[in-house]
Amino acid sequence: MTILRKFLATTALVCAGSAALAEDVTITVWAGGSNESDSYRLDAIELAAEMLMRERAIEGEDLTITVEKKRDFGGWDDFKQAVTLAAEAGTAPNIVVTSHLDIAPWSQAGLIVPVEDYLDLDAWPLNDIYDNLMEIAAFDGVQWGLPQDAESRPFFFWKDTMKGIGYTDEQIAALPAMVEEGEYTLQNVLADAKKAVDMGLVEEGYGFYPRVSNGPDYAQFYQSFGGVLQDPDTGKLVLDKTAMEEMYQFFVDAVAAGVTRKNHIGTDWAQWYSEVANGKAALWHGGTWHYARYTGPEGNEDFFGTIEFSLIPAGNEKGRANTITQPLVYLITDQADDDHEDIAAQLVKIASEPRMNSLHAIQSAHLGITHQQSNIELYSNNRWASEATDRLLGHANAQPNHVQYGAFSEAMWKGLEAAWTGIKTPAEAVAELEAELTTTLGDELIVR
Amino acid sequence: MTRMNWLGLGFLSPALIMVVLFFLAPVVLTGIFAFTSMSTATGITGGEYVLTSSSVRAMRDAGLPKDTADALENAGYVVDAKGLTALAREFDQPTADELAKLHDGARFSERRDMESALKDLRDNRIRKTRDRKAAADLFKRSVLNERFETETQFRATLTEAGVPPADYDLITKQAYSGWVWTTDNIKLMFSLSSSWRYAGNTAIYVLFTLAFNVGFGLFLAISTFYLPPAQAAGFRAIWFLPRILPPVLYVLMWKWFTWDTGFISTVLANFGISPRNWMLDTATHAWVSLVLINGFVGASMGMILFSSAIRAIPSSMLYASEVDGANRWQQVRYIILPQLRWPILFTTSYQTLSLLTSFEYILLATNGGPGRSTEVWALAAYHTALNNYGGNLQYGLGAAFALVLVVIGILASLFYLRLFNFRTLVGKPLIEG
Repeated sequence: MTILRKFLATTALVCAGSAALAEDVTITVWAGGSNESDSYRLDAIELAAEMLMRERAIEGEDLTITVEKKRDFGGWDDFKQAVTLAAEAGTAPNIVVTSHLDIAPWSQAGLIVPVEDYLDLDAWPLNDIYDNLMEIAAFDGVQWGLPQDAESRPFFFWKDTMKGIGYTDEQIAALPAMVEEGEYTLQNVLADAKKAVDMGLVEEGYGFYPRVSNGPDYAQFYQSFGGVLQDPDTGKLVLDKTAMEEMYQFFVDAVAAGVTRKNHIGTDWAQWYSEVANGKAALWHGGTWHYARYTGPEGNEDFFGTIEFSLIPAGNEKGRANTITQPLVYLITDQADDDHEDIAAQLVKIASEPRMNSLHAIQSAHLGITHQQSNIELYSNNRWASEATDRLLGHANAQPNHVQYGAFSEAMWKGLEAAWTGIKTPAEAVAELEAELTTTLGDELIVR
Repeated sequence: MTRMNWLGLGFLSPALIMVVLFFLAPVVLTGIFAFTSMSTATGITGGEYVLTSSSVRAMRDAGLPKDTADALENAGYVVDAKGLTALAREFDQPTADELAKLHDGARFSERRDMESALKDLRDNRIRKTRDRKAAADLFKRSVLNERFETETQFRATLTEAGVPPADYDLITKQAYSGWVWTTDNIKLMFSLSSSWRYAGNTAIYVLFTLAFNVGFGLFLAISTFYLPPAQAAGFRAIWFLPRILPPVLYVLMWKWFTWDTGFISTVLANFGISPRNWMLDTATHAWVSLVLINGFVGASMGMILFSSAIRAIPSSMLYASEVDGANRWQQVRYIILPQLRWPILFTTSYQTLSLLTSFEYILLATNGGPGRSTEVWALAAYHTALNNYGGNLQYGLGAAFALVLVVIGILASLFYLRLFNFRTLVGKPLIEG
């Protein structure tokens, strides 16, 4: 009995103690890159807190959780600076919603703690989350975070323009399958975009209308030409020079053919959204969450009647049709009080329940994270969520969680910018990229 | 006399505090950061000791004996006597006995498997997840993913794990998660060809902007000097507008002016010229825009300085020259310009220094584009240290970039002090000596 009493006194001290004393805990949650339609990234934590308080009350524990939410950051840069500086100052928010790419640097910095320290990964609802998404939120064999949402980055066709250059309705409907099979490639993209420009269906520079800033999207085109980002055996980053040069060349060709603007990079996002949502561009690529933007603020009332979507086409026979998913993740930060880390972990767990996650998925046009969401009517009744999940998510891979991936991605983008704008030829840009990456990454890079 | 000095120091102290806080401290910190490997991943305040599977992989490449590496990687979780004793102590004997019966001697590579072994307990269930985690930790024999605050603790754990002492140094070095002193940033910076391009861009930017600033400022000062005072004041006020406009607004107006759908394109469309982004179309377009954007702001300062210097020229000299039949150009060439020698030199040197470090208008207007062709040194420092899509900000490398500017700035300041013969400028007037 004495042993049991000792056990109660030590490990269950918190529970026993707080049963007598009412405990007030403030949990701060910050979300990066979020706008109004993403409000459930934060609201779900509030709902989860309500649930947890009730559960604890039934267990006889008087726990009061106040959730403080913040998502007004200038952009990703401001958000990441805010989080890291707050952490250095010891005032980090308890929960952050951020890109999975932050896991590698932030875990080394000791800024976050693994959710697996507090949560049973084999229990509901975590055992229902898609395995590949859980893997994206893990690094070095440790489950650092939980996926908050899923998305993927499709290729889009404006149906009227495609009809204008000679496609029938049936042919357009068959495009996604042709892309998946590798029968419709990026070379077809160039040809069709050129036709649309030459026939005057879209203005010059609007045949193929890519993303205007760096992002995972461009790694997709590298993969389209057979590029690999990370070596599965050693975990090192990979620079495939041929694939990279062919990827650069594709954008240079697009500019030369007059289907993409030479000064496209840096175009205002608001302008970009309104143009693609209303048929000013023939072909373009974006993200699954664009659905909410096109049909909402941009006023496209007939998404499925005007737009077809597919994987990003393969570039050549070495590459494959692909799409990258960049789920945001819930991360728990290191706090002086372990109990607060525990409460934060419990909250993100509850927020990951299928019904709860569906609120976010449908409101913001993201994809679900758990299998059971197909049994939640809110989710399954939504045509976009279910079709996009079927067509894209199965083929999605993520960018690697690697401390140096940020440097890799920035350098790759710098090279693409230089080739795209004609400052360098693709070959020169790749040569400089190789020189820069071998110096900055050293042993962590494999050049092919 | 001494008291007087203390009083003076007292009056100065707010200024001194400002200088230390906002000038000296950043410079010193830049100098320190530049020689560290600081990044988001290493943190700023120092590190801890932690081994991960990727650090073991890196150590294999660095020559860690295979046996040691394997031992580190495969230690995992073991249900052994030591763990069972601890379990009995922390929980109770029956729990330990039951686990021993079920899994004595078992090895698990993952914590998850150890936890699921603990879930097999039937008579002595550990119900709370957190308690089960605590119990699993008692069987952990791996040092991976364990954070240690001090090197001593870490080395002690290595000893406990039976790692050969010969490998301690290599492992400890690899395990340290914080920043270390290094000169790699400087080497890396000078070995990247992009750095040299940024240096070239900076030279273009400073030279052309400076020429425009001083030339145009001079033109404005001289031309308004010959206007009636009221008109001159009006003109000067107009040319002063760019300086008092908020930079963001000012650059936004330039963007509207130059966009594909902006003013220039719209007007030129009437003449059959196809619309284009006049700011970002080519590197030349970007440079012309940047020089003008910065130049109109900088020229106003030259204008004010030169105007007041011209007014300080005794008007009798100008009257006398007119009596001698000098025209306007001769007045400018032989009277005004020679007397503006010092203001021009001062403006030039002052603006060289401020242009070297300023990048706010470039950041807002082109952000270094197209294709980094307008990326100047200061902007590169900013991008490296505070801007990274992947989240790993390179504070150390960014500081190394900034340090170069600090060094150039200090050298140039010393040179200018000598050029202007500072001592004679602040010396006592000879007439009172």
